Amino acid sequence: MSSIRPGSPAAYWLALPATLWMMAAVVVPVGMIVWVSFWGGRAFSPDSPLSLDNYQRFFANRTYLALVLETLRHTATMMLICGVLGYCIAYFLVVKVRSPGWRTVLFLAFVIPFWTSALIRAIAWVPFLGVNGVINQALLATGLAEKPVEVFLYSRTGISMAQVSLYTLMASGPVVYMLAQIPPALLEAAMTLKAEPVTVFRRVIFPLTLPGVVIGQVLVFLNVMADFATVQTIGGNKIALLPNLVINFYEGAQIRAAAVVAVLLMLCMLAGVAAALRVVDVRRLGAT
Amino acid sequence: MDRLPQLDLEIRSLRKRYGGFTAVDGVSLQVGKGQFVCLLGPSGCGKTTTLRCVAGLEEPDGGDILIGGREVTRDPPWRRDIAMMFQDFALFPHMTVARQVGFGLEMLRKPRAEIAARVAEVLAAFEITALADRKPASLSGGQRQRVALARAMITEPRILLLDEPIGALDYSLRETVMIELKQLQRRVGISFIWVTHDQNEAFSLGDHVVVMNHARIEQQGAPEDILHRPRTPFVAGFVQGNNSFHGRIAGAEGGMLRIAGEAGSFLVPGASRAPGSAASFSVRAERIGPAAAAHANRLAVRCVTVEYFGSIRRYILERAGGALLKLDQFGAEPAWLRQGEAAEIGWAAEDCVLHAVPEEAAPASSAAPAREVVPA
Repeated sequence: MSSIRPGSPAAYWLALPATLWMMAAVVVPVGMIVWVSFWGGRAFSPDSPLSLDNYQRFFANRTYLALVLETLRHTATMMLICGVLGYCIAYFLVVKVRSPGWRTVLFLAFVIPFWTSALIRAIAWVPFLGVNGVINQALLATGLAEKPVEVFLYSRTGISMAQVSLYTLMASGPVVYMLAQIPPALLEAAMTLKAEPVTVFRRVIFPLTLPGVVIGQVLVFLNVMADFATVQTIGGNKIALLPNLVINFYEGAQIRAAAVVAVLLMLCMLAGVAAALRVVDVRRLGAT
Repeated sequence: MDRLPQLDLEIRSLRKRYGGFTAVDGVSLQVGKGQFVCLLGPSGCGKTTTLRCVAGLEEPDGGDILIGGREVTRDPPWRRDIAMMFQDFALFPHMTVARQVGFGLEMLRKPRAEIAARVAEVLAAFEITALADRKPASLSGGQRQRVALARAMITEPRILLLDEPIGALDYSLRETVMIELKQLQRRVGISFIWVTHDQNEAFSLGDHVVVMNHARIEQQGAPEDILHRPRTPFVAGFVQGNNSFHGRIAGAEGGMLRIAGEAGSFLVPGASRAPGSAASFSVRAERIGPAAAAHANRLAVRCVTVEYFGSIRRYILERAGGALLKLDQFGAEPAWLRQGEAAEIGWAAEDCVLHAVPEEAAPASSAAPAREVVPA
């Protein structure tokens, strides 16, 4: 069989099914969204003249602009919290837990919640965060609070708490992988060259795990930017971020506005990924 | 302390255990100024653990370590006046050669200009200036070795610890690197403590060789001492070119001891010991020859095989009972035995070396395979 040779044309046939599927499920719909976002006029039809009207209308509205900034700010906060927590967890699992058995147990405990869908996990936070929820009951029982804390549910705090629990694994996983690749002799070499532990971390461990950190940050960034479910279930109708705006417009039959927001959202994500790739060449991961 | 430090390193009854396994058991060692010391032994004998305790990478369970006269037993690695070269060099994959070599000076918070000048100087000295901007992944084994050495030497430590430093190199490179390292050590006058399982390395490099087995020191001294006067059956067996015999003291004859064993009865020089007590001795392969009038000790053997190394010809001989012996002859002389031929060999009583410690301290040595100890 000649299909094993890299240059063989037979190899292209192997890529065909996936290509067709990606065309139908991703490329064409994305193209259509971009196209719709430029439809001018009043009629909703493919005959509409192409114009920038929809974008101008969106950017003319200060509320929407504030929402874009708010979404980016919220995402940045999540990236920071998930990144720090995720790094600590990864460091603990790889460096401090020496017994392979315990490492597996702890890693499973950490991963099992992710076997359920993101939507279910978002909804599952509601009974925790409510006025009569588990957290408030615990606070009242231990006397840490005198009356139920209301800011947990239907608030930015609640959304953040839920999203941190949802996405920390994504920040942590790639770091676990990168940390596990570092030969212990490197750290010992640094110490014998008079580097104290903090310096060893700053000069050797962290730079070597940086690709993992960046990939984790990209994953958190993409997921938080796209997460409408958590914002909707835990934020109620009081809080909306960009992805919720897409749904609001769509449900209000403002398809062109929905398309504009969707395109902006995609551009933000593209810019984020491009920025990350400038920091770390993900394609060269694993090659030392 | 104004006491003048006489020794670069002093280890006093060092002990280290991992769970139920004793890795180092009462090791004591003194290293004078600028000495080249080799720790030699089979894997799992405790030589690497000893080195790691000196580096501060392992905390001993007992004993003291003094570097330059200062007690450092509980000090972390970064407070010890040492540098270390690791088996696989442990270069930082994300740093260029220049950055790598300057790392130690950066840690000492030297001014940037001074670091740059010193790095340039050291790179030139190790002939790796051309590699300054390369990263370790693009270097050959020999180049990595030079970078690792330059990185360790730049801070001018009192002691350089080397853990199988040429084990990762191609065989053809090793001899050149050994000569270079020896010359370097003589030139800079830093003490080298070199861990190896290769006796050629240990005996050709070391001023002082420490043979270890089962977490203990079996014998230490000058290479000639260890090669020609093994103190224990282990050293006699571990060092190439010895034939060991075991038996019991049968009596004394004219200032010598007679030792009788399975192989026969032999005359061995030594102070008197209780008759009937266990004893062992060894004789070097090059001291044995065809039986002659001057030989007090004789043995009938059959030639199993002959190995020719150019400078010597080695006969592997089988005696009655099946045990093998080695006999070395100068390679330039004509062969006197062929495979399968029987002969009588002999050697002078004076060529026998009586072992100070007759029986193996740990009889399990041959039954249980030595455990490799490479702490994570």
